[in-house]
Amino acid sequence: MKRAFLVLILHGLAVAGYLAAARAAPEPGAANCRVPSEIIEDDPPLPLTAQRLKAKQPVRIVVMGGASTAGVATGDGAAKGYPHRLEEALQRRHPGIDITVLNKAKPGQTTAAMAERFALDVYPANPTLVIWETGTVDAVRGIDVDQFTATLEAGIAALREHHFDIMLVTMQYNPSTGSVINFEPYMEALTHAADFVDVYLFRRYEIMKYWSEQGVFDYANVPRNQRAQFATDVYRCLGDALAEAVDYGAR
Amino acid sequence: MSGRDLRLDFFRGLSLFFIFIDHIPENVLSYFTLHTIAFCDAAEVFIFISGYTAALVYGQSLQRNGALLAIAQIYRRVWQLYVAHIFLFVIFTAEVSYALVAIQNPMYAEELGVADFLNAPHIAVLHALLLDFQPPFLDILPLYIVLLGAFPVILLGLARQPLLPVLVSAALYALTLRFGWAPHSYPDDRVWFFNPLAWQFLFVIGASLGYLRARGHPPFQPPRWLAWPAIAIAGGIAVIAMSWTLHWIYDPFPPLFERLWYLTLDKTNLAPLRLFSIVVLVIATLGLVAPEAAFLGTRWSRPVILCGQNSLYIFCLGIVLSVLGHFVLAEVHAGVALQVAVNLVGITAMIAIAAVLQWFKTASRRPGPRSAQPAPSE
Repeated sequence: MKRAFLVLILHGLAVAGYLAAARAAPEPGAANCRVPSEIIEDDPPLPLTAQRLKAKQPVRIVVMGGASTAGVATGDGAAKGYPHRLEEALQRRHPGIDITVLNKAKPGQTTAAMAERFALDVYPANPTLVIWETGTVDAVRGIDVDQFTATLEAGIAALREHHFDIMLVTMQYNPSTGSVINFEPYMEALTHAADFVDVYLFRRYEIMKYWSEQGVFDYANVPRNQRAQFATDVYRCLGDALAEAVDYGAR
Repeated sequence: MSGRDLRLDFFRGLSLFFIFIDHIPENVLSYFTLHTIAFCDAAEVFIFISGYTAALVYGQSLQRNGALLAIAQIYRRVWQLYVAHIFLFVIFTAEVSYALVAIQNPMYAEELGVADFLNAPHIAVLHALLLDFQPPFLDILPLYIVLLGAFPVILLGLARQPLLPVLVSAALYALTLRFGWAPHSYPDDRVWFFNPLAWQFLFVIGASLGYLRARGHPPFQPPRWLAWPAIAIAGGIAVIAMSWTLHWIYDPFPPLFERLWYLTLDKTNLAPLRLFSIVVLVIATLGLVAPEAAFLGTRWSRPVILCGQNSLYIFCLGIVLSVLGHFVLAEVHAGVALQVAVNLVGITAMIAIAAVLQWFKTASRRPGPRSAQPAPSE
C-alpha cells in the first residue's frame, strides 16, 4: 500500500516534469525564455492590427532595423532572424489568418538612413504595422542626440501619415557594451520620444537584460562554434516576446 | 580679498560626484543628480565654475606677475589637462579591447563599431593626440583644454575691458547656433560632443564674474530683485523636470510642459534652455548661499570641498571609477543595494584621494628645514 503510494507520487512527478519540460521548450533546443508581461506590455494600442485580426483579414508587418534585425549573426537571417520568428509565432497564435512579416533591415544604418528608405521599402508594401528597430548605429557613431530624436519623430510622423500602426524597438543588451558606448542618452531619447508621441515601445533591451539576470542567456563569451546557434536561440525568444507584444497592442 | 570662496569648491566637488554617478550606465542614483531638477546637468556647473576659477587664479597672477608668466601658467595647466586626457584615452582603449573580447559575437556587429578605431590604431592615436578623437565619456576634457588654450585671449580682453569678452562670446554663441558651426572630429566626421564654439559662452560668463573677484571686488551677490525671481524660476524648473522623471518612472504621473523636454536635448550646442537653466541656478544659488554660509564650514561639506579643490585629479579618477563601477555592476547581477554600494565606494575613493592630494599639497608647501628647495607647485 505504502509502496504503491510512492510509485504513484513518483509517477505524478514524472508526468508533471514532462509537462513542464514540454511547456518550457516549445521547440527543441529553445531555452525557457518567458518574460514577465509588465516588460512586454505598453499603453499605446495598435488599432489597425487589432481590427484586421478581429476581422480575420490579412495582416502585413514590415520590420525596419539594423544588423540585429537582419539576423546576420545566425548565418541565415531570413529564416532565423527575429522577424521571421515573429511571423511563425503570430501564425501559431492566429491560425487561419494570413500574416506576413517582411524583413527590410539593413546592417549599419543610422535612423536617418533608415527613414530615407521608407519610401522604397515601407510605403509600397502598405503594411498594417511597422516595427522599427533603431538607435544603435546612432549611438556608436555619436550622432547628435537632438538630431537623432528629431529624425526619429519625423520618421514616426511620416509613418503616421500613412496610417500604419507603429512599434519601436530598443537596442540590444550586452553587459559589456555600456561602458564603451554611451547608449543612455539615445535610449532615453528613444523611450521618452515613444512616450511623448504615444508609440508602442518594445523594450528589447530590458527583455534581454532580464534573460541575462535570470541566467537564461549569457551574452558574454559565447564559444565561437556556438555563436550562430546562440543568436538563433535569442532571436527565437525575441520573436515570441514580440508576438506577445503585438497581440497585447492589438487586444 | 581674504580666503577662498568655499562655495566654488563645494559646488565643483558636488558636480564631480554627479558626473561620476551619471557616467555609470543605468545607475539608480542618477535620479538624484542635478539633471533631475534642472534642464542642465553637472557638466554646465563644471564648465561655469572652471571659467570662474580660471579667471580668478590667472587674473590675480596677471596683476601680480604680468602677462607672460600668467600665460605660461595657463599653458602649464593646459599641458596637465592634456596629459590627463591622454591617460584616460589609454584606459579607454584598454577597456574597449577587453570589451571586444567579451562581446566578440556577430550578434553585436553594429555595437562593435566602437572598436573600429583599433583597426587603424596609428590613425586613431594621432587623432587622440590632436583631441579630435573623442571616445564616449572622454569628451569634457578636450572641451576644457580648448577653452583654457584660448583663455589668454579672454584674460587679456578682460584686463582691457571687463565686458568685452562676454559680448564677443555671446555673439559667437549666437552665430554658432544660427549657422551650425562645429569643429569636426574623428571618425566619420562626427561633431564634438561638447561644441567648444557654443560652450565657450558659459565659460566666459564664469570668467567675467571670476575676473571681477580677481580685481578685488567682493563675491558677486545678486540683488534681491534678481535673486528672488531666479529662485522662483529655478524652483519652477525643478518641479517641471521632476514631473518628467516621475512620469518616466510611473507612467500615470502627468509630465508638465513636456514640449520643453525637446529644447533641453541639444547638449552638444548648449541649447539656450540649458544655458538659461544654469544661469538661473547660479543666481539662485548665490542668492541662497552666502559666501560665509555656515554649512560650508561643517564636517559634512569638508569632503566635498576637498574634491572641488583638487578637481582635475578627482575628475579623472571619477571617470576611471565610473568605468570600474559599471564593470562590477555588469558582472554581478545584483539589485539596488549593490548599485548604491558601488556609488558609495567610488565617492569614498574620490574623497580619500582628494584628502591625500590636499595633505601632499600643504605638506610640500610647509616651510621646513629643507625649505631652501623650491616648493613643488600643484
